[in-house]
Amino acid sequence: MNTPAQNPKRQIVLDAIRHLDHVLPGQAPIHDFVHHNTLHGFQHLPFEQALAEFTALTGIDCYLPEAQFRQFHAQGRISDADIDAALNDYLADAGPVAASNGSDNAPTRRQFYRQALLSDLSPLNPAQLTWQLQESDLLQQPDARALWETVLDRLELTLPELHPEQLLDLSREQAETWLSNAGVSLPSARKDLELQAVRGLFDQVGDSLTLRGLLLALTGTDILENVRPRLIKLCASVLDEGQAAWRLPQRQTLGLYKAWRQTLPHDAEALFQDLTDWPQLVDALPEAAGDAIVQQLEMAGIPCERWAGYLERLALELPGWSGLLNWRQTHPDYSAEGQSQTLLADYLAIRLILDQACLQAFAKATWRCPMHIGKLQAYFEKNNAEVAVRHAVFGGQLPEYLQQAGQSLVADNPRDNRPWQVLTERIHTWQHSPLAGQTGGIHANTQGWQLFRLCRDLGLRAAELSQLPKAQLLNWLTLIEAFTPSHRQRVWLDAYERHYQQDLLQALHANHNRGRWAQRRQAPQAQIVFCMDDREEGIRRHLEELNPAVETLGAAGFFGVPMHYQGLDDAHATPLCPVVVTPSHTVREQSRPERALLLKRHKRRNSIKLALGRLIFHGLRRGVLSSAPLIGIAAPFTLAGLLLKSFTPKQQQRLLQQAGHTLGAQVETHLQFQAEHPAVPATPQNPRLGFTDSEQAERIAAFLKNTGLTYGFAEIVVLMGHGSMSQNNPHLAAYDCGACSGRHGGPNARLFAAMANRAEIRQLLLEHNIDIPEHTWFIGAEHNTCDEDITWYDSADIPAARLPAFQRFVAEMEHAQRMSAHERCRRLASAPRKPTPAQALRHFLNRAADFSQARPELGHATNAAALVGRRSLTQGAFFDRRLFLISYDPTQDPEGTILEGILLAVGPVGAGINLEYYFSTVNNERLGCGSKVPHNLTGFCAVMEGAGSDLRTGLPKQMIEIHEAMRLQIVVEAKTTVLEKIYNRQESLRELIGGGWVHLSSKDPDSGEIFVFRRASGFMPWQAADKPLPLRDNSPDCYREETLPVAPMLIKQPSFSGEPG
Amino acid sequence: MDACWILWVPCLPTLAAALIGGLHFLRLISGETDERLTARISVTAISFSALLALTALASTDSGSIADNLIYGTWLSSGHLNIGFSLRNSGFNVGLAALFSLLLLVVMRFSVNYLHREAGFHRFFFILNLFAAAMLLLVLSGNAVFTFIGWEVAGVCSYWLIAYAYDRPIAVHNATRAFVTNRVGDGGFLLGIALSLIWLESADWQVINQHAADLARGDANLLAWCFALAACAKSAQIPFTPWLARAMEGPTPSSAVFYGGVMIHAGVFLLIQLQALFNQAPLAMLLLAIVGGLTAVYGYWVGLSQTDIKSAQVYATSAQLGLMFLECGLGFWQLAGWHLCAHAVVRCYLLLTAPSILHATQCQAVRPVSPRWADCRWAFMVSLQRGWLEQALDWMLVKPIQQLAKDMRDIDERIIDPALGVPAPTIKAISSLAEWEERRMGANLDSDEDSFARGSGLAGKLAEWTAALMNWFEYRFILRGIGRDSISWGRRLGRRANRFEHLLLSPRYLVLFVLITLMVALGYAS
Ligand SMILES: [Zn+2]
Repeated sequence: MNTPAQNPKRQIVLDAIRHLDHVLPGQAPIHDFVHHNTLHGFQHLPFEQALAEFTALTGIDCYLPEAQFRQFHAQGRISDADIDAALNDYLADAGPVAASNGSDNAPTRRQFYRQALLSDLSPLNPAQLTWQLQESDLLQQPDARALWETVLDRLELTLPELHPEQLLDLSREQAETWLSNAGVSLPSARKDLELQAVRGLFDQVGDSLTLRGLLLALTGTDILENVRPRLIKLCASVLDEGQAAWRLPQRQTLGLYKAWRQTLPHDAEALFQDLTDWPQLVDALPEAAGDAIVQQLEMAGIPCERWAGYLERLALELPGWSGLLNWRQTHPDYSAEGQSQTLLADYLAIRLILDQACLQAFAKATWRCPMHIGKLQAYFEKNNAEVAVRHAVFGGQLPEYLQQAGQSLVADNPRDNRPWQVLTERIHTWQHSPLAGQTGGIHANTQGWQLFRLCRDLGLRAAELSQLPKAQLLNWLTLIEAFTPSHRQRVWLDAYERHYQQDLLQALHANHNRGRWAQRRQAPQAQIVFCMDDREEGIRRHLEELNPAVETLGAAGFFGVPMHYQGLDDAHATPLCPVVVTPSHTVREQSRPERALLLKRHKRRNSIKLALGRLIFHGLRRGVLSSAPLIGIAAPFTLAGLLLKSFTPKQQQRLLQQAGHTLGAQVETHLQFQAEHPAVPATPQNPRLGFTDSEQAERIAAFLKNTGLTYGFAEIVVLMGHGSMSQNNPHLAAYDCGACSGRHGGPNARLFAAMANRAEIRQLLLEHNIDIPEHTWFIGAEHNTCDEDITWYDSADIPAARLPAFQRFVAEMEHAQRMSAHERCRRLASAPRKPTPAQALRHFLNRAADFSQARPELGHATNAAALVGRRSLTQGAFFDRRLFLISYDPTQDPEGTILEGILLAVGPVGAGINLEYYFSTVNNERLGCGSKVPHNLTGFCAVMEGAGSDLRTGLPKQMIEIHEAMRLQIVVEAKTTVLEKIYNRQESLRELIGGGWVHLSSKDPDSGEIFVFRRASGFMPWQAADKPLPLRDNSPDCYREETLPVAPMLIKQPSFSGEPG
Repeated sequence: MDACWILWVPCLPTLAAALIGGLHFLRLISGETDERLTARISVTAISFSALLALTALASTDSGSIADNLIYGTWLSSGHLNIGFSLRNSGFNVGLAALFSLLLLVVMRFSVNYLHREAGFHRFFFILNLFAAAMLLLVLSGNAVFTFIGWEVAGVCSYWLIAYAYDRPIAVHNATRAFVTNRVGDGGFLLGIALSLIWLESADWQVINQHAADLARGDANLLAWCFALAACAKSAQIPFTPWLARAMEGPTPSSAVFYGGVMIHAGVFLLIQLQALFNQAPLAMLLLAIVGGLTAVYGYWVGLSQTDIKSAQVYATSAQLGLMFLECGLGFWQLAGWHLCAHAVVRCYLLLTAPSILHATQCQAVRPVSPRWADCRWAFMVSLQRGWLEQALDWMLVKPIQQLAKDMRDIDERIIDPALGVPAPTIKAISSLAEWEERRMGANLDSDEDSFARGSGLAGKLAEWTAALMNWFEYRFILRGIGRDSISWGRRLGRRANRFEHLLLSPRYLVLFVLITLMVALGYAS
């Protein structure tokens, strides 16, 4: 066998496949869902360029529709000032332009562009124009009527008044006028044009078309309909992680392609699909997938230089499946099964072979010509009339009478050229009639209508217009045309983001020096560190409002202790840290030694629980005879369970839990995190069980320094991880902690607290200049962001002296939980309106236990900004749960080394979450995964729609409905000089910030001045507008009665003795 | 005791459907704001239905209700008398109670699950209609009304598979499922017709009571007709593949149609007719064989299904196969209990299908035994679902499609032109090129001097007709401008050739033979 080096052709294929990593979706299997930039492969480009290139490649629009932006404008979510500012930036980028108009009082380019944004200036088709003229009341007012007449007059246009059927018999006069309009009409000249069209079409193969696409364009037949079911079943069988009992034989030893080849003698599909050449095709298949790709591409006659494009296009036809195969290929350590790692090549080879079989059969039946691109092209160059008809019919632009004639001709498919010729003539005639959507020339429905809308919206009158020459009017339209839809959407997005940015910065400006704990002159009553998550902003605010003596902080929710964690009931350890980090340590949860008996019962209960789950969800579908009696036994319980679950979900859940408790109670545990063999080095490749003392101290110190919590320790310091529990939700991991790779962050909080409570560690911390007083006690906890429940870890270990403080704090948290639920109700249509806090909490308890809820919670739907700095910046204002809050004290970090670390961690995580939400929102059908309603979990690794679709990646509609699709605003409390240095040092930050994937601003820690980073010019001072922010008594006053996003407001601050005013 | 109120069990959902459908049609309810109203109407109606059905069930047990409630006559002609009546036997009422409870659960489930879906009101309209149809189906005392319920439920299933009608796959699959089910309808209708002819009634009770009076052959034929209907509805071999195609709809509708309620209608029909089947041993044998085969097929194919809905669906058809087997072996009571238990459990499993990932904590299902795991042919049979559907397509659908295409061709080529295509207006032109040609005096039609030619009998006939027409036109109408009729005649000749060619193709020969045979048989009998 040849090595790739000896076989240049195969090398081309392998290179092309490697490149696919950039264009395919990078989503992991669904249980490991972690937010990432949907366009990760384009992140090295500036935002606008990346979107444009992606759209050019896939045809997927990556901005919100213009109509949506216009609606925002109408709602006041985008103001005129925002549009002007965004347009100024755009025009400054575009550079100076030659004077576009003759007279002085004519509108400027700015005005034109502005109008192009605000009004819908898209051309109409003739039928739409007729409708506008006859049915809409737009032209009923005399002013508008006069303007319309003037436009027609100035542009020397007449209205077409024709019905398509009339084209069946033309009069001489009509023919003569149209022919004089049309440039080329002689049959010979037209033949040249048609030949060009044929060549153009075939040139697209390997660029924007596959052969399947070519066939679809020419015959309306999609061979993927035949290929897809076979291909999908095969891929699913290989990728499955345990849903099917029987999977492709020998897939581990042989790999997908070879194992598939072995099954071919038993594959009867070809027989039923009448694929006549199938046996010969199979016999000729080479051993290796790479060779098969080469063979198939050569067989189809695709030139070498287009192979890469062809394979890319092929992979993008089923991006979900290709993407998951690619993910498995690029993560070889993922599962023990994936021993053969050339999945994508295998898949492409099989796809090409199946395609080829169908294409050959089809081409032979239709044209008696093999599916070879050269031969087919030659055939069509000879039969150019046929290709012209087919193109027109399946391009879908024809009026009904021609469409019918075309379709029956295609169905008839005569080999004689004459009928095709006749129909081409008729199509050609129609294309020259005023009824067709013409490409060249000036027409009433295109330029006429556009100019009319433009003048009307600009407020020009008929009298003014009649003074202007035709050339100038047309010039206006050319000017506007240069402002293409994607550029307009870009300006709209800038304006939209600017609106929020101004609100945000205005609030930060107004809140200057209002927040507490900029300096801890005395120790707070309690401190609590939450995850930076935007969902925690509300609960923090409510806690602070209840007790101003509590300080809250935010940090990435793995609390600086990356680990492989194995819970008491887990089969194996899983990493709890950001995806980019590979932990070097393992931590296990173990029962306390005195609880051996309980542990036994617990284990038994757990195995029973698991066995029951397997029996119900696997057993009842796996067996036939065995499950029949089981069904009989289970039915009464199931019916009772179903009825209870439907009417009182929480009670049903409690009942189940109680039933579980009778089998064996929850056993008390602790974490085993102390290194038993400190001498063994801990590496990502060989993780060591437990941390040494110095490792512990280092991690604690680093985390405390990051958050600025190096002094002023309270009696109680709580670390609050988070996770989300809900039912019937394959996307569950997408609601969990992003800083813990889409898992629950409680164990990290618990580990941190356990480490920080050790006297040895506190001793070591002194070396790091951190003096934790003896009376301080750390407590780990986990917040369930869905039903607001809080689990407190190791509360049995709390010293008796700390208990009163702890109990008081728990009571305060209970209030905050209720208020957080109260605040969340307003965004959910199915939640009670105007609930009491207790009702609100009850609602969420039921909601999380309700198996019919497709929206158990809303996830990160409100994320819009990330704030790196002290809580005093934001505390005192209402930010509507839209901020990631990361604690950082610039006064302790003059060089910016800590900040650098924070930005390197927070930037990608925040941008990943935000950009995934952005793309899933702007185009939920193509970049998100659509509605959850028809989703069907496949192979434990992804969802399909129905029983045989592409895999759907991205976020479901139910998660993004209320999201505002805008890029993340990062605001850092730091000197611009420090930030500039970091920016220059860090390539990855330059990519994000300089590429415009996030927006950066800074607030000076001393002066409070705000600077906005501009890509072209760096940090620019920001001017606050002279308008006071509304001041409210408390949070509920800010959001009461509101169901839409609320702009930032100030909240009255209590006078609090421990703080400077 | 009079218990006319049982009528309300199917009527309440009907009223709810009419109300929602009517209000939605008149645009009085639409969009998110009115979701609450629609949900309230639906849940209230089905709740009361369930309550009534449960009450009726309790009363049946205490024996206080008559067995059949007659509400009136629907059709009466000569000996024929079709009444509208509801049955009150324990099994019917029990099933009505169970189904209405499951429907209640699913309606409540859908309120949240379909929140903010564009088709919310449409979905609830269909679901209510379906509830009404199913309750009528199980309660009706007469085959005609059972059939009405049967059909309406089928249409509802079609609508909900095609719920996302903007996805071509969904619509295609819906149509496939719908068409397959129509085969069963043929059986049902024939069954009704036969019982009307032989027994002068379509009352289930009459059919069952008088089954013993029928000749053996007649009883077998009648039972076969209903068995065919049951097989199609309950996805028995060879109809099984439609069930897998039905998984395109929203999760709750999959659960209630193919897990909980409708899919069991076939088994219900069998149990309803147990007295008839007991008189028809051949039909019983057929049931046992079909059921056994389906159980094996469902199990075999189910092993390699990688998505949860398909896996559940094949498990469903395997269990239904067992029920058919039980019926075929005469264990009617067992089949009845099996039906009820399976309806509940499968409905639950489909409603909670998305949670399998977390309920099993990603633990794999027990793999097939190593002896079979590497057996390629057996695996391919499982993966490609036994080629059942493809084989049927190949044997039945393709030839029929071809036949339909030929019919259309005949219509388009022979009948339409013969029945009068408008003669082209003399001066008008149909394309610019034609006009240009005329202007330049080009004569593209030079080959037309050779007059229209056909071969064979039909060809000659056409040729002569064209010649006659041409002569006629030339002489009396066009006075020298006869080009159009010449080309017309030529076209006619070509078509006639094609027609002859068609007639000689094998499928038509077969068709002719069949028709001849049928006519002969008709006269003979
Ligand atoms: Zn988090």
